[in-house]
Amino acid sequence: MAAAEKKGAEENGGEFAEFMADISQEIAQRVESLEPKLKPPPETKKATPVSQDSGLIPEWENVVDRMIEDMR
Amino acid sequence: MSVVNYGTREITCKIVYYGPGRSGKTTNLQHIYSQLPEERKGKMVSLATETDRTLFFDFLPLDLGTISGFATRFQLYTVPGQVYYAATRKLVLQGVDGVVFVADSQSRQMPENIESLQDLHANLADEGLDPRTIPLAMQYNKRDLPAGEISAVEELDETLNFRAVPFFSASAISGAGVFETLRSIASMVLSRLSAPAPKES
Repeated sequence: MAAAEKKGAEENGGEFAEFMADISQEIAQRVESLEPKLKPPPETKKATPVSQDSGLIPEWENVVDRMIEDMR
Repeated sequence: MSVVNYGTREITCKIVYYGPGRSGKTTNLQHIYSQLPEERKGKMVSLATETDRTLFFDFLPLDLGTISGFATRFQLYTVPGQVYYAATRKLVLQGVDGVVFVADSQSRQMPENIESLQDLHANLADEGLDPRTIPLAMQYNKRDLPAGEISAVEELDETLNFRAVPFFSASAISGAGVFETLRSIASMVLSRLSAPAPKES
């Protein structure tokens, strides 16, 4: 994109056109270097607490306790 | 501070031409203005006295159009060089992103150059800006004058350029060195361009 803008500026001629050509390139580079920093970090989903070896939910007992408590 | 705004897709930078009275600050802006293509020519605001001295300041909005999808604007200002307009100089320096110091090459103007440079440092410090780090370019103007009247570039640089920043010989009245200086300061300002801090929720 910057290259196209530079070509267009050069076609116009003159000191301002040369200035524009240089500045366009610098801005393009600067914008590109800054853009990734603005993207929010990817959201990490909370995994269900599953025990690696048994496939059981280790917090299950707590869940059951809470359910019983709620029913009371 | 210059900021690239990804929300509104805008880049705005403020550059101030500083220096002693009659060193050629307004002439720099006039040359830049004269080179703008018609479609980009906004209004150059210049408040001058009857004797053509800058009374308040000059302001040249430089609309560079859309670059890489960003509406880009450079705002160029000059300050009045005369000693008694100190308050105006401070006002114009507010929010500055880069400074071009336009020094008068005439040997007899060296004390005025030094005084103006000291004034710049003091005013930047008052604005909470670090004179040692703010983007700065030196321009040694009026190189077209007879050799016997002007100091050598090396002498000017040794006396004024403490920070060893880029310096340019110029004859603003003919345009020589004007865009080279602008390109240099613009480049320095752009290298410090930053994204706005994310808002805390």
